[in-house]
Amino acid sequence: MVTFTSEMKDALRVPGKGGSLIHMATSSLDGKPNIAAMRFVATHGDDKILISDMFLLKTKMNLKENPECCIAICHPLDSGRDWVFKGKAIDIEYGFPPDFNWYGVTAKEILDKWGDWATLEPPKEVPPDIVFPKPAQRGVVVLHVEEIYSIEKGKTGERIQ
Amino acid sequence: MAIVLTERMKGWIELMGCHLCVATPEGVPWVTVSRFAKVTKPDQISFAMEKGEIGVIEAALSQNPWVAIGVSKQGGIRAAYQFKGKGKVLRSGTEFDTIRELATGIATDAVLIVDLTELYCTKPGAEAGQRLDIMAPDAVDAWEKARWTDIPGK
Repeated sequence: MVTFTSEMKDALRVPGKGGSLIHMATSSLDGKPNIAAMRFVATHGDDKILISDMFLLKTKMNLKENPECCIAICHPLDSGRDWVFKGKAIDIEYGFPPDFNWYGVTAKEILDKWGDWATLEPPKEVPPDIVFPKPAQRGVVVLHVEEIYSIEKGKTGERIQ
Repeated sequence: MAIVLTERMKGWIELMGCHLCVATPEGVPWVTVSRFAKVTKPDQISFAMEKGEIGVIEAALSQNPWVAIGVSKQGGIRAAYQFKGKGKVLRSGTEFDTIRELATGIATDAVLIVDLTELYCTKPGAEAGQRLDIMAPDAVDAWEKARWTDIPGK
């Protein structure tokens, strides 16, 4: 069981609120890895990370067959946010039964709060030439974190929690 | 199609660090970082890895050579790519010595060499996930120049 520190919670927010972009890593069931950067990130409680399902393709396909997932801060090399969060994730899409439960959270509570993320936390800090023209959110990925390890220089691989 | 990394891609890879993702044959992903990368062929990247950095991924990599690569410092770039290929770990030989010598400030324990076979656009929006290695290298270069002209380090 893990418990996020306040520093981790500060990092796992949208960049416009002082957080960081993150890299989300998944794999197909037969072991082909995928890594993609994400902007819409938040924590829920002390052991869950939320990601908007807005333009997910391979990530989504992988999670449909394999919940194993890692999340790392995109630019830890000079920020001190040197963590990898490892656990099991699911993409809670619109249409899931409201009482669907993923390690203690329900689809309803997640979608009620985060189901229109672009309105809740619009990407004001994103330069106009790379911001998406229209949000198309289909759900929220919930990562239940079971392990945290370091990617700090000299300590990479050491388990933190 | 063969992959030929563009000048922009090389700039990102060599200046901004990389996140590397591997997976066990059963699909358990592991992520590490490399603080030194060098494009050693038009379709090949070599990474100097410290002991802990390679230690995170080596067990999985020994059973499954696939490596997915993302650029670390994403905050200041105009769109990004994901690179995929097959990796091998070296601890001796000419390639190892060359990279270790270039990687000042890195306690190089191993050199990871990745031969790229897949290239994806990861810009959010309509082109997210677009596979680019299906295009000829000249077409990829033109596709990129039509969208972005910033080159890291220049």
